[in-house]
Amino acid sequence: MREVDMLTGNVAAAWAARIADVDYIPAYPITPQTEIIETLASWISQGLMKAKLVQLESEHSMLTAAGTASLSGARVFTATSSQGLLYGFEMLYNIAGWRAPLVLVNVSRAVAAPITLEPDHNDVLAARDSGFIQLHAEKCQEVLDLILIAYRVAEDHRVMLPVIVNMDGFYLSFTREPVYIPSKTDVEEFLPPYNPPHPFRAGRPVVKGAAVLGGHIYAYFKHNIHESLLRAGDVFKEAAAGFREVTGRFHSPVEGFLLDDAEYVLVVTNSFTSIARKAVVRLREKGVPAGLVKLVMLRPFPSSDIMEKLRGRKAVAVFDQNISPGLGGVIYNEVAAALYHVKNRPETLLSAIGGVGGKYTTVEEFEHVFHMLMHPEKTQPGKPVFLFRADELAHVQTALRLAGYTGEET
Amino acid sequence: MERGYIFNPHIVVVMDETLLADAQARPLEDLPRGGVALINSARGPIFSEDQAGHVFMRINFTDPALRIIGKPIVSVSAAAAAAKLCGLRKQHVEEAVREELSELGVRDELLEKNLMLMSETYDNTPRYSIKVDEERVGAVELVDPASGRVVYSDVFAAGNAVHRATGNWRVFRPVVDYGKCTGCKVCFIYCPDSAISLDAENKPVIDYEHCKGCLICVVECPIRAISSVREVEIFA
Amino acid sequence: MLVLRAFHKVLGPNVVFVNAAGCLTLLQVYPYTPNKSSWMYTAFASAPAGAQGIRDALDILMEKGRVNSFEDLKVVVVTGDGAAYDIGLQSTSGAIERGLDFYYLVYDNEAYGNTGFQKSGATPYGSATATTPPTERNPTGYTGVKKDLFEIWRSHKPPYIATVAPSHMVDMLRKIETASQFKGPKLFIAFSSCPTGWGFDPSLSVRISRLAVECGIWPLKESVYGKVRHTYIPTVLKPVEEYLRHQNRFRHLFTPRKQETAIASIQEQVNNYWLEAAKNEGFRITVAKPVTIAPP
Repeated sequence: MREVDMLTGNVAAAWAARIADVDYIPAYPITPQTEIIETLASWISQGLMKAKLVQLESEHSMLTAAGTASLSGARVFTATSSQGLLYGFEMLYNIAGWRAPLVLVNVSRAVAAPITLEPDHNDVLAARDSGFIQLHAEKCQEVLDLILIAYRVAEDHRVMLPVIVNMDGFYLSFTREPVYIPSKTDVEEFLPPYNPPHPFRAGRPVVKGAAVLGGHIYAYFKHNIHESLLRAGDVFKEAAAGFREVTGRFHSPVEGFLLDDAEYVLVVTNSFTSIARKAVVRLREKGVPAGLVKLVMLRPFPSSDIMEKLRGRKAVAVFDQNISPGLGGVIYNEVAAALYHVKNRPETLLSAIGGVGGKYTTVEEFEHVFHMLMHPEKTQPGKPVFLFRADELAHVQTALRLAGYTGEET
Repeated sequence: MERGYIFNPHIVVVMDETLLADAQARPLEDLPRGGVALINSARGPIFSEDQAGHVFMRINFTDPALRIIGKPIVSVSAAAAAAKLCGLRKQHVEEAVREELSELGVRDELLEKNLMLMSETYDNTPRYSIKVDEERVGAVELVDPASGRVVYSDVFAAGNAVHRATGNWRVFRPVVDYGKCTGCKVCFIYCPDSAISLDAENKPVIDYEHCKGCLICVVECPIRAISSVREVEIFA
Repeated sequence: MLVLRAFHKVLGPNVVFVNAAGCLTLLQVYPYTPNKSSWMYTAFASAPAGAQGIRDALDILMEKGRVNSFEDLKVVVVTGDGAAYDIGLQSTSGAIERGLDFYYLVYDNEAYGNTGFQKSGATPYGSATATTPPTERNPTGYTGVKKDLFEIWRSHKPPYIATVAPSHMVDMLRKIETASQFKGPKLFIAFSSCPTGWGFDPSLSVRISRLAVECGIWPLKESVYGKVRHTYIPTVLKPVEEYLRHQNRFRHLFTPRKQETAIASIQEQVNNYWLEAAKNEGFRITVAKPVTIAPP
């Protein structure tokens, strides 16, 4: 393999699984994930990878098999998307409760109905209460890197929790970018073998998943998951330091861009971060003290990093590529809670919602968000602003007309 | 309005006296001084008191039920006894039992038997005026359940359920007549709880700590060498 | 319980039971377990998928030299009929299609027992359940048919399928042993009389099972790669009434008035089954006469 190659996000994910020497890949196809499992199936079939890939008959079964295989001592890699993630949803809570440290790549895709293929984050964010660690990638390189870091964090005996690594469908999954692939020795140095304390083995009987009746006992175990998730934040930083030593690339739960003297800051995640960066640069050229904060880690929610990076700013906008109907943006609400007790919190906290259903968010739209930060009197506090262009609305109205919608219901 | 757990009860009805010794059940927890533990028991004095000032009332629900209904189903007895202690009149208890059981589909002869059982228990329950200590409002002590490490909810102690004395569930106990027993092993094969083992002569040995008294062995023994006896023992 | 015991006896201690929600799930309530073997509770719909994960993991780890063969476990799925006939049918079909090397033991008590005896795909015609109560307008209780899980499985042509009954332990033990020589899916449906749900005294549990077999209601048979053989032939079928009348769940067929048509139709179904089986396998059988009602 070449040291650096032009890879799609999907193939980058497959490479991460390959160099992490995963043992078991339960699979079920869904757009836009299929390239991951096709690539892995091909490598295994050619003998380039020693692992077992098995197609299950639904994502619910796929996730079940993933969890029990992990409990049996296999390093497990799996991937899905939107409808598939939601179809197997109960298993996410099970896998976390079982303390099975597998890695699940979610190739984000907006959720039906209406059914679609392009990305937004309602699918992965629905899983935020499941007990999974959540990491979000901006670039294809990050897809590969975060998967490797994920195994190290997940399998750490202080954590023992599964990880979701999210990449945007189409924008990352099918877009080629230069990706450095770490060598086998580098990975071996960084990632120790998976060694769970109590796998299923003859002679060592164990009951896993037994019913727990008695609220306080259940509460204790659930609290332990929460506690371990919080610890995972620190373990991530340790692992990231080790990763930097081996590869030279540094990842942190929250990344800043042109933040030093920024007065106006945009909080953003995933691939649209790259577009937002351009907006920040353009504004800086015009003399606006703009900056950007990218959330890589969504769970555990990096409250202290966010508080540290946003305190003292004049105005902050949170860009949500999701909608919680009846409330607004998910990440906006979590950031607001983190900032509540900060003494010098920003005067303005704006919610901007865009990119839903994969709707492309232009540099101009991101610039517009900054303009609103600079003129908060033009906005209503607490009310989310929808990034939706006039030409897009015109197009929607044409489509409605073509579909025969008259708007004249009785 | 209280919902869910009842703290500071004045009466606790214990339908199975073996629960008194069960570390997981602890039915008298939170019963205040002067509170009544109304216990379904076939033996012991009707009234007694323990060191904590709990008043024990022992009434036999099970045997009348076996006599009148033919099965150890004691809910109407428990209701009747508790109602009497609360000062409710028998006719009201009868109305309630009639309505509740009819809704469950209990009719005609079976319903009449239940009402007969209810009436007998009501009559046999002595009147007692319950005097309970004032409700103590204690301070609560909150702790941090954090443990600093991963705690697995796995069960590692394989087969530890053997420590649970499920034999306490018995209402009838099977007894082998070794004079008749031919050692055919049918009872051993059919015991669903693996509570029968075989001795050196292939004769059955019943583990009374875990025999639940299902009496399959009594029915299946081809020469009727096992009989069933009313169980009144409890296990600590 | 008897069936679980039989499985333990034949298969030994190196087993992991993979369980879906049902009565037996509550055999272990933290921190207690009655098992000396391993047990994995998965989710209602996916016990076979859970079994797939464990089996595949052990296989690949042994292939990669990280686990020794003496550490290997036999994988046995244990579920009730609710999981097997309904919500878990999909994952079972997938596991059989993939040729998973596992056992599947279904304890069939013909309803969702653990939740209070609601109807399942395994509920037979004429049974009262919590969701098919006999009423004046609908006096028969459940008026659908019991799904034929044996045939559904058999259409996949797995190596081994068998029906078993706790009253016929030798037949059961022999079948488990026969199954153990095959690699791939080895599937069992166990007649599981349920005193609470069916309404009879627990002491009669084995007797009811025996009646089910003698009345022809529960055929004892096996299938090897799709070829069926009945392992016990009740040469003279007892009338189904003898089986039905001992159970409260069929009591409505007898009182307040005897539902002759319903009982006759049950008898007819049983008779037809055995006549067909007798023809296919070449044995003799005497069916019981259905009581017919003269038209008004």
